[in-house]
Amino acid sequence: MDLIGLYPTWYEPGIGSGWVVGLIATIHVLFSHTSVGAALFFMALATIAYRQNRPELLDFIKKYGLFLLVFSYILGSITGPGIWYSTTVASPRGISSLIHSFVWKWATEWVFFVIEVVGVYLVTYLVGKVDQKTHLKLTIILGLASYTTMMIILGILSFMMWPGKEEWFTEGGYLLGFYGDNTFAQLAMRTAFMFAITAVVGSIVTSGFKDQAFRAQMNRWLAVMGIVSTIIGAALFGWYLETLPEYAHLIMENRLQAWFEPSIYAILAGILAYFVFMLITPRMITTAVASLATVAILVFGLWPVETARESIRKPFVSGQYVYSNQVIARDVPGMGIKSEMPILEEHGWLKTHAFIPDELRTVTPQNAARVGEALAITMCSNCHSLSETGIRPMKNYLGGVTDIPAIKTYLLAALATGNTMYMPKIPMKDEEAEALAVYLATLTDKTVAERYAKEKSALAQAASVEE
Amino acid sequence: MDAQALYALRDVAGIPTHPVVFLILGVATFALHIAAVQIMLGASGLTIWGALSGDAHKRRLAQSMVMVTKFMLSVAILIGVAPLLFVQVTYDPFWYTSNVLSAWWVIGFILILTVASLLWFWFNARNYKLGESKKTSCPGSAILSVILLLVVGFIMHVLTNQMLSPEKWMEWYAPGGVLDTSGRTLHEYNLPRFLFFIVMSVPVIGAVLVGYRRFYLPRLGDESLNMSREYLDWTGRLGQKMISIGGVLTVVMGIWWMATLPEKVAGFAYSPWAIISLLALLGFAAFARWVNAGRMDSLWAYAVLGVGAVAGIVVAIAREILRWDILMGVHNYNAMEYPVNMDWYSTILFFATFLIVGGGALAYMITVAWKAGQTKGVYTPGPVISRMGDIAIALIALWIIQYFAIGFYVWLS
Repeated sequence: MDLIGLYPTWYEPGIGSGWVVGLIATIHVLFSHTSVGAALFFMALATIAYRQNRPELLDFIKKYGLFLLVFSYILGSITGPGIWYSTTVASPRGISSLIHSFVWKWATEWVFFVIEVVGVYLVTYLVGKVDQKTHLKLTIILGLASYTTMMIILGILSFMMWPGKEEWFTEGGYLLGFYGDNTFAQLAMRTAFMFAITAVVGSIVTSGFKDQAFRAQMNRWLAVMGIVSTIIGAALFGWYLETLPEYAHLIMENRLQAWFEPSIYAILAGILAYFVFMLITPRMITTAVASLATVAILVFGLWPVETARESIRKPFVSGQYVYSNQVIARDVPGMGIKSEMPILEEHGWLKTHAFIPDELRTVTPQNAARVGEALAITMCSNCHSLSETGIRPMKNYLGGVTDIPAIKTYLLAALATGNTMYMPKIPMKDEEAEALAVYLATLTDKTVAERYAKEKSALAQAASVEE
Repeated sequence: MDAQALYALRDVAGIPTHPVVFLILGVATFALHIAAVQIMLGASGLTIWGALSGDAHKRRLAQSMVMVTKFMLSVAILIGVAPLLFVQVTYDPFWYTSNVLSAWWVIGFILILTVASLLWFWFNARNYKLGESKKTSCPGSAILSVILLLVVGFIMHVLTNQMLSPEKWMEWYAPGGVLDTSGRTLHEYNLPRFLFFIVMSVPVIGAVLVGYRRFYLPRLGDESLNMSREYLDWTGRLGQKMISIGGVLTVVMGIWWMATLPEKVAGFAYSPWAIISLLALLGFAAFARWVNAGRMDSLWAYAVLGVGAVAGIVVAIAREILRWDILMGVHNYNAMEYPVNMDWYSTILFFATFLIVGGGALAYMITVAWKAGQTKGVYTPGPVISRMGDIAIALIALWIIQYFAIGFYVWLS
């Protein structure tokens, strides 16, 4: 019999594996956007410093560079692969699909990343130790290499949402998956916001300057950069939304909280207010104020946007063919990919999932709840917590219902047929639906499983006596 | 877990180039990564040794090594990304399963590495002039940092080790038929294998010291460096001693590792690759002795690290062949049969970027760093090196242009 390629599941009952990925990814966005934005900003500053003979600007580059060594190039370098690690354990087939289509893209990004890290060390530590022209060249190499890392990763991120071109499904190939409307819109938007983030984080660096006049001047420059980039970024955000597929808009309208859109505008207004404050009173930006603003960007700016981006591609986790529960949901002839749905429809999960223990492959009244739990962990737990906490707790969706036949009917009628918006189609055999229903009922009432086993055993006994 | 299940776990999209290319890149980048790790660990050990001592030479060495550790920590993390990428390409069934089964440790790896790195940077910031002061501030932060770095190394060791035991996966995932989805356990380790790579830090940092001595010889007159001939000779002798003693210890660990191989691959211990690795390590130590006999002031001193790198590559190849023997020989998983969805554009673009753009830019940057390190005062490159910088910038700019040119063409067509 054909097996489907499902891995074991890591189920984290506290906050849910999805939040773990989200936390690491969001923090990484802050570090990485800062490093790219700062590298480009250094290019501009170094050019001005050498053309106008202003060595104090090099002092800023050195101080920001030293700060970045920890902030971006250690913490960012760890959280970058950290996203791989966390997605590996939370969604192995999701990350695998990206790795296998874009391995060369990631490898290419790595080359630029090596240049970038070597570059930041040289730009920081060779100030005053090499001649001006050489230092400027090193700064330009750092800036350009840094930006290419962003250009590359953006194509992969866009593919996660939706392959660049519809033809990718029929023709395959990296180019058709990588480039599309969303790629360029997202690159443009992130480039703008990247400078805004750089300006906020840069104000932490300037807050440590002893020369107050220079500190004020740098803060004014950063503020202007922040204001311009926030306004451009807000405009590009509109373009980015336009490039999202229709289905994503439908999800946004129906699934995102009503406060989401106004809150985004409020956040943008807050960022602008910070920069205006910085422009008018540049000496009021202390380390505490700047650090607070950085944390605010992370919590109120990046977190909701990144989690929304995750949400609107559901029920898929990658390329519109890998479901969040790791099942391959559609044929992709261009890549020779076959949907696993027909196998699941014919044989169910228990017979085709390699990591189901043998004693749970056949449903009995005694093991029904345990089988159901194994199925819930496999089918549901990536998006629905099976505990009281975590992402979208399953119990909340059952409305206190413990009627096993009713739950089973819902599972077979709405889920197995794919008639629930935002949810994947989850084919299952009759006995699997029954076992899952028993387990789901126990989320509300723990005694259900035992009663079910007794009733079923009694019925079986009565039937055998009658015979 | 039988071969059918292992093949079912392979990614459905296939891979964009023949698997052998990924295997070679995996070995090459692992060799680079582990070398960076070993230099970092060796340098961190010397830093702590010096920081806890009152001896002037040891403290001066610690002043250099604290920076070496800091830089190599960045490099180790940076280069580690590549083998992590390539292992997922051809060995995805094994890597992903091993990770999921110890998921919390995988997340812990990130957190512990973060704390370890921050501790080292903190120690560095507090003690950047160790050689000039008699006191060391917060030595505990450096010690704790190294302990945590060893912990993350151990986690990585376990993850690569668990890959090799598919027959135990179900027992770990569902002991007694009850699912354990917590990912809280590190299931299997091989202490001698782990210690082999850690102990190898001793001869590797020894080779670095031999090169360090030679590098700073031309700057003996530079008072800002605070390096005397006596100090540099001391570092050379120390390096040679570390290569000899560390080399022997590494070989002992290697023999211990080979003695603990699973029964089905026990024969690997007598295979040509195990023997070549042994000879490479001994050859490395012998070559260092040869250089020590009157060649320490010549360019041969740098070759010690080069020969050490060759030994490291041989060991990395042997490690890969052992993995192949286990997965193919015992579990019938043939990575060479991975379905290929050839993608010429991204394949060629990578190698062009790697060899031309990366090679060009890094050659320029490393040359500048090297020359600046050997120059007293401000270093001004000559026309050839300066031209290399222009070419590096042009190559990256060209790469960016092709990105947008091809991208717009695909997007709009």
